[in-house]
Amino acid sequence: MGDLHLEAEKYLIDAILEVFASMVFIDIAAELPAEESTLEIQPNLSSLIGFAGDLKGILAIHCPAAVAMGITTSMLGMEVVDLGEDVKDAIGEIANMVAGGLKVGLATEDKKIELAIPTTVVGKSIHTSGLSGATRVMIPFSSPLGRFAVELRFIHS
Amino acid sequence: MNSFAEINDKLIESTIEIFTGMVMMEISVAGEPLESMGPLKNSITGMVGLAGTHKGVLAVHFPKQVALAVTSSFLGMEVEDINEDVQDAIGEIANMLGGNLKTILSVRGKDIHLSLPSTIYGDEYAFSSQAEVDQIILPFQAPAGLFYVEVELEH
Repeated sequence: MGDLHLEAEKYLIDAILEVFASMVFIDIAAELPAEESTLEIQPNLSSLIGFAGDLKGILAIHCPAAVAMGITTSMLGMEVVDLGEDVKDAIGEIANMVAGGLKVGLATEDKKIELAIPTTVVGKSIHTSGLSGATRVMIPFSSPLGRFAVELRFIHS
Repeated sequence: MNSFAEINDKLIESTIEIFTGMVMMEISVAGEPLESMGPLKNSITGMVGLAGTHKGVLAVHFPKQVALAVTSSFLGMEVEDINEDVQDAIGEIANMLGGNLKTILSVRGKDIHLSLPSTIYGDEYAFSSQAEVDQIILPFQAPAGLFYVEVELEH
């Protein structure tokens, strides 16, 4: 087994690039992993999905409102102007698909995980956190719509 | 699997048990289950995912003053704001509730696994899940105010 933190980071980036290329049709680029304090992304919408198995943890996508609406507009091919059901469904589905990609990637390392269901939180100045002690990967992405971030926290079961 | 009414009853029972035994706080059911949860104001939510034979999420929503009282009682220390201790305590309560939910849904919790707990807090937020789910929202009365236990299970 290699360094699982780096492997997980690689599978996570691969999964999100794949989902954006095949479903969202927006060019995005991964920036260097960051500390939350230096991230400067104020999420208005976060979609989270838990997973369990050989690794247990949570995957989250954090988007400012404009980015969440832009992604949904591109993915659904219809103009979206508020953070309503369509946006929650779209970003939740992206979280679900990215977690599915991570699952496939981890399976090649003989690590099996099962997914829970995606949940989306919409609001003003929302903060999410996990239990202290888990391995944490936070990757900002840049896109023509603005920046967003993907976060992974996990421990070995 | 148990009927939803049975799950309700057992979830109420185990929530009261966890609060009495672990948090050291007396709580009671505050009326009938809710149909939906409005936006949460100045609150903190602890949540944990369920994967395996049952897929879903368990969430527990606390207004800030209730979260602070619960954390103080649970950890035996004063807390004045939503800090790491409060996040850990609320996450751990979600984790314990999730553990009990596993055993409610399957004998000895077999073939259901919990994700890591996480917490969400903010001035105002709404919480929703995407999948086609059955939903339970149970209101509870603690000395410092109301809080809610929510379960969503995929069909």
